[in-house]
Amino acid sequence: MTAIESPHSAPIPFLRCATIAAFVVIGFFLPRLLGGTPVAYSTLTTIAIFAVMCYGADIVLSYLGEVSLGHTVFWAIGGYAAANLAVKYGLNGWLTAAATIALCLAAAAFLGAVTLRTREFVFSLVTYAAAVVAYEVAFNWDAVGGSDGIVGIPPLKLPLLVTNFSGAMQEDLWPVAFILLLLTLAFIARFRRSRLGTTALMVQMNPALAASLGVDPRRIRLAVFVISAPITGLAGWLYAYQRAYVGPDMFESYFLVMMLTAIVLVGRRILLGPLIGTALLIAQQNLFSLGGDWNKIVLGSVLALVLIFWPAGLVGLYRRITKKS
Amino acid sequence: MHKTKLALALLLGLATAPAMAQDIKVGTIFPLSGGAGPDGQTVTNAVKLMVQQINDKGGLLGRKLTVISKDDESTPAVGVSRANEMVAEKADIVIEGWNSPVTLAMQPILARGNILDFTAVSKSDLILSGETNPYAMRINSSNGFDAEVIAKYVAQTMKAKKVAFLTQNDVYGNGFQTAVEAEFKKMNFSGEVIMTEKFAFKDTDFRVQLTNIKGANPDAVIVTSSSNSSGLPALVEQYRQADIKSTFVGAVGIMLSTVYKVAGDANNGVISADIFFPDLPPFTTMPESVAFVDAYKKAYGVLPDKSAALGAAAVQVWAQAVAQTKSLDRKTVAEAIRGKAVKGTVFGDVQFLPNGQMQPRYVVFKVVDGKNAKLEALQ
Repeated sequence: MTAIESPHSAPIPFLRCATIAAFVVIGFFLPRLLGGTPVAYSTLTTIAIFAVMCYGADIVLSYLGEVSLGHTVFWAIGGYAAANLAVKYGLNGWLTAAATIALCLAAAAFLGAVTLRTREFVFSLVTYAAAVVAYEVAFNWDAVGGSDGIVGIPPLKLPLLVTNFSGAMQEDLWPVAFILLLLTLAFIARFRRSRLGTTALMVQMNPALAASLGVDPRRIRLAVFVISAPITGLAGWLYAYQRAYVGPDMFESYFLVMMLTAIVLVGRRILLGPLIGTALLIAQQNLFSLGGDWNKIVLGSVLALVLIFWPAGLVGLYRRITKKS
Repeated sequence: MHKTKLALALLLGLATAPAMAQDIKVGTIFPLSGGAGPDGQTVTNAVKLMVQQINDKGGLLGRKLTVISKDDESTPAVGVSRANEMVAEKADIVIEGWNSPVTLAMQPILARGNILDFTAVSKSDLILSGETNPYAMRINSSNGFDAEVIAKYVAQTMKAKKVAFLTQNDVYGNGFQTAVEAEFKKMNFSGEVIMTEKFAFKDTDFRVQLTNIKGANPDAVIVTSSSNSSGLPALVEQYRQADIKSTFVGAVGIMLSTVYKVAGDANNGVISADIFFPDLPPFTTMPESVAFVDAYKKAYGVLPDKSAALGAAAVQVWAQAVAQTKSLDRKTVAEAIRGKAVKGTVFGDVQFLPNGQMQPRYVVFKVVDGKNAKLEALQ
């Protein structure tokens, strides 16, 4: 059977690989295609970082069907880990990233265990409460920065065998942000096809079937929640180096609303959805800004309208239009 | 011959005209929307007024000035985007900062972009630490100086024996209290701190703390609060309702117009200090200050407050340094200001410390008619 099918299926993966490779190359040179200015680099780096931040929350929203309002905690853990360890102990980027992953896993395991029995509204509320508690701790605890935060974060250093990469300028951080985004996309793509991903979807869509197959929904929920945390955490880690300053503002609703809107805007369970959503939102804020109050009104209205009228996002809207015509 | 001359002149004109016409860009980044929006607009308006005055006198280095004003939405992440835009637009100076976290987030971006950065209002000590911007400069007073003037008034002028603290429980409140206590120690304060009561920024009910203070009956209560639109007016009202006899000594800069508007006559008797008043001496006798107050009132219909003065002073200090050094270079201009004296600002003749801090001069005042925000200068 394999012998018969393989000649037919071989060109398709090859074509796919070539297309993906082409997109990767274009993506990498995108800042240069947009003029190579510092603003092009910094905007695209920000989009890449925020998109990775969104993917963490996306896994929970798309595959568990739960709205986590606590992912700013992991975002902040990444930022604070990088800032504290780099400033106080001079650790390089690999070590601060490892610390970020470890701390995020631990925090998510704890929060996941606590919220194991909660669903929907209660789950959102408990995760939100966790974010509020974490914010108060960060705001009042001088040892991790207090209300002023931490300044003087050194440039990102990623020594690798012979090369000694150092991201001092926005242009230097772009490759790191781009690779982090690619790794995240690869991870999400793999997760969607993985046993955990498909089982999580089954638990969400058809709990009866899952139960009859002997799946323990709590274990699945915990596993998905825990693996989502380091993704958002690593975005926060890179954001700390990009901004060279970390403060309690990392818990601000600005990031939370950004995460949720970017995910639902394009549509859930679409691989590039959060990336495109983030790009649209950042472009609106930076290039077509209507002023602070109006931007917030636009962002809030978009979130509300999408949820009310097209719960499936822009993709759902597109499908509806094409079906009608 | 004539033709070639004309063509040459035209060519020369074309070549030089753009360079001549290039305006000097004065950038401002303040909150223009949200809760702090009106405050940020006040500072921005003052900057625009000062720039207008310079343009009316023929500009700077023979060039006109234009203001590019941006909104940081009181959000550090947004401030960072705006700072990046300033780098892209090659602003010659950026005057920024209402909230310390926003300033701290923008500082590295502006410093890396080699843009001269003036902090007008944000108070955090980290701003002048030199870690992210070796050429940082700030107009507003710092917590250390603020603590000194309050400690001196309580210990030396009031000669208080028993002092209580009513402190907002965050870095601002606790930091100010620590600084005041350090000043007490420095001046060998003979009295004692008998009590510290704390509250959260968002609190509006202070009756438990005030009951404790009333029981202890100190001579002075030193109050910190940055919640000037809700928490502080409520605190002042409840302080009067509890009929506490101790003198209410407010930390520097907390008595803003919203406090008078909301708490009215309950403010009567409150003692505090600040660095600018449009209608109190010595500012009513300084020609630069009087001219600024008149022009601001004419342009915007209200008296300028301290934040307006801070924005105006930033432009004045920078413009003087540019005219003196004939340069717009970040390092050259900053070095002409840091550690040097600057004459004729809305704050009078001022001195900058080597770390970029403008040395503040305070007026200690007492509220005599809270409803109309009438103050009386002491000392």
